[in-house]
Amino acid sequence: MEILKSIYEVLWFIFLIAAGVAALEGYFYYHFRYWERGWFFPVALAAFPAAALVLSGSVLGDYTFRLWFYFLLAEAVISAAFRYMVKGRHTVPYLLLAPAFVGLALLLVYPFVFEVLLSFHDLKLTTIMMWKNTGSLPFVGLSQYVKVFTTSPLSEITFWALLLRTLVWTFTNVFFHVAGGFALALLLNNQIRFKGVYRTLLVIPWAMPQVVAVLAMRGEFHSQNGFVNIVLVKLASAFPFLAHLGLGPVQWLSDYPLATCMLINVWLGIPFMMVVILGGLQSISSSYYDAADIDGASYLQKLRYITLPLIRPVLMPAITLGTVWTFNNINVIYLVTGQSGGTEQADILVSALYKAAFTYNRYSYSAAFAIVVFAMLFFISVFYLKSFDAAKDER
Amino acid sequence: MKKKMSAHEKKRRVKYFFVHVGIIIFAGICVYPLLRIFSISLRPGDKLFSTDLSLIPAGASFTAYRSLLKDTMFLRWLWNSLVITLATSLIGVSLASTAAYAFSRFRFPGKKAGLILLLSSQMIPAGMLILPLFLMIMKLKLMNTYLGMIIAYSVSSLPFSIWILKGYYDTIPRSLEEAALVDGTSQVGAFWRIILPLSTPALSIAFLFNFTTAWNEYLVARVVLFSAKQYTWTLGLFELQGQYITQWGMFAAGSMLVTIPVLCVFLYSSKWLISGLTLGSVKG
Repeated sequence: MEILKSIYEVLWFIFLIAAGVAALEGYFYYHFRYWERGWFFPVALAAFPAAALVLSGSVLGDYTFRLWFYFLLAEAVISAAFRYMVKGRHTVPYLLLAPAFVGLALLLVYPFVFEVLLSFHDLKLTTIMMWKNTGSLPFVGLSQYVKVFTTSPLSEITFWALLLRTLVWTFTNVFFHVAGGFALALLLNNQIRFKGVYRTLLVIPWAMPQVVAVLAMRGEFHSQNGFVNIVLVKLASAFPFLAHLGLGPVQWLSDYPLATCMLINVWLGIPFMMVVILGGLQSISSSYYDAADIDGASYLQKLRYITLPLIRPVLMPAITLGTVWTFNNINVIYLVTGQSGGTEQADILVSALYKAAFTYNRYSYSAAFAIVVFAMLFFISVFYLKSFDAAKDER
Repeated sequence: MKKKMSAHEKKRRVKYFFVHVGIIIFAGICVYPLLRIFSISLRPGDKLFSTDLSLIPAGASFTAYRSLLKDTMFLRWLWNSLVITLATSLIGVSLASTAAYAFSRFRFPGKKAGLILLLSSQMIPAGMLILPLFLMIMKLKLMNTYLGMIIAYSVSSLPFSIWILKGYYDTIPRSLEEAALVDGTSQVGAFWRIILPLSTPALSIAFLFNFTTAWNEYLVARVVLFSAKQYTWTLGLFELQGQYITQWGMFAAGSMLVTIPVLCVFLYSSKWLISGLTLGSVKG
């Protein structure tokens, strides 16, 4: 019965979405098709604001004159834009884009703007009730941004320490992802038996659901019954001289949380790079290598002068994406250290951001924090893409 | 001549032997944690914390699986995840497929701005939009429901899907559609009858990407869902592993049950996935 109910719920929702998309298309179609007609403005201004009011009223439960007036203003601007700027051109691409972009505007751009506004106000646990009851919040200008750089997002660690740690985290991870992925791709690119089997086995860390993979690896780093320490103990007892050198069980999760997270994330990230690089390697024609062989080039020379330049167009976007993903990787750190209070020793910017908002309930502060992080990511990737574009021009 | 060949052959054999050894070591590192989960899930209840490294533990049994299915709402969690994920991916892929077509085939004002918007949406730090989405879902009275989750997820992988699909459409020759247009189809008809069927691989990649993103998500789920009945499997497993260390066996069993189907789907589609990921970038 419950299953039937949920199927019904989902079908209803898909119907709603379809109806919404159809209504949206109809709305834009009207503007594209009839912008020249004399009745264009009167019909638009009479029909659409009223329809929007009915719709929003049925969802939110209030029908106010003020709301209708806003819809009217919006409709006036939109239809004027269609009459005097768009003039019925580019109908097909805009109609094709409309559903996706309205979705993005509502669920991505609007929340983003909301966060920007929030960062100039002061929403935290003590002001949230006031905000709920009166709808107003104290305006604090840029002071949240000042706080981002001067106070700790968690209990003691500073922004700058977090930034440094994030950079170390990102570069170490991406370096090992690319190096490991490249090495494995080179190994796999030979004409060997069982290639398909090997490739399948090697992508398993990527294919496993990340939550499972991380939680399982976290168990493997447990001080007593984790695999890593069991092996260390066995090694130390088998070879006593290693034990004298200090080899023994390590309290991974409490003493070296960041190193643990890095090991786990390197393990998780290598397959993606391997697959991308392997794709690049396979697209290189073997005639290049044959020519190099005739010239008597060594293996390293071939690697340096043929392989690397030719996989660059595949590698650069993958590295850019990988950098952004690693910088933004909250899963590993949060799942390894986030529960039961957790430690601050492994937090990077994004996990501190999440904790500041949802563990410490400092919403405005975390909004300002998020915008600072966004700006940094944006500049990193613009820089990367610029260098990629420059490389493209060289070719 | 013949002798030289065999020397060469010998060198090749030695090289390949080391290649095999190298790959097998790495493959072991990749697979071992999964095998460990499997072995832990088979352990009898009193041996959960043994330091035994054998794959099939002594006294192996399926008790953990049985108690997982009987004592927790694991199946219900899986079902919740499946419903939310399928609906999300359907919506995401259908919106992305049309938008990508517009980006691939038309010139229009705002095209570049749109593409930049898509790219820069990837820079939004994880967790930044959770609070506004949460407030929105609360305002729409959709807390703790499928619909709220679907709304929150539906556009999250849209930019990436549009990007992948655009890259794929770009490789389909325009002459195909032009022929159809000459024969009297509309532009939309050409898209529907020619481009969509041709881009099944890319559509599957986009679907898979949407699917795995939503299937593995838990940050939003943690905020929106609060009753155990509505949990997705990620929240459920997190709970099993987090609160009581005694449920380690059940956690392992649940992990296996979740991982195996995902693994199958992933490995089955991995060929497409690889071609799709590299294709757009090689074209530049």
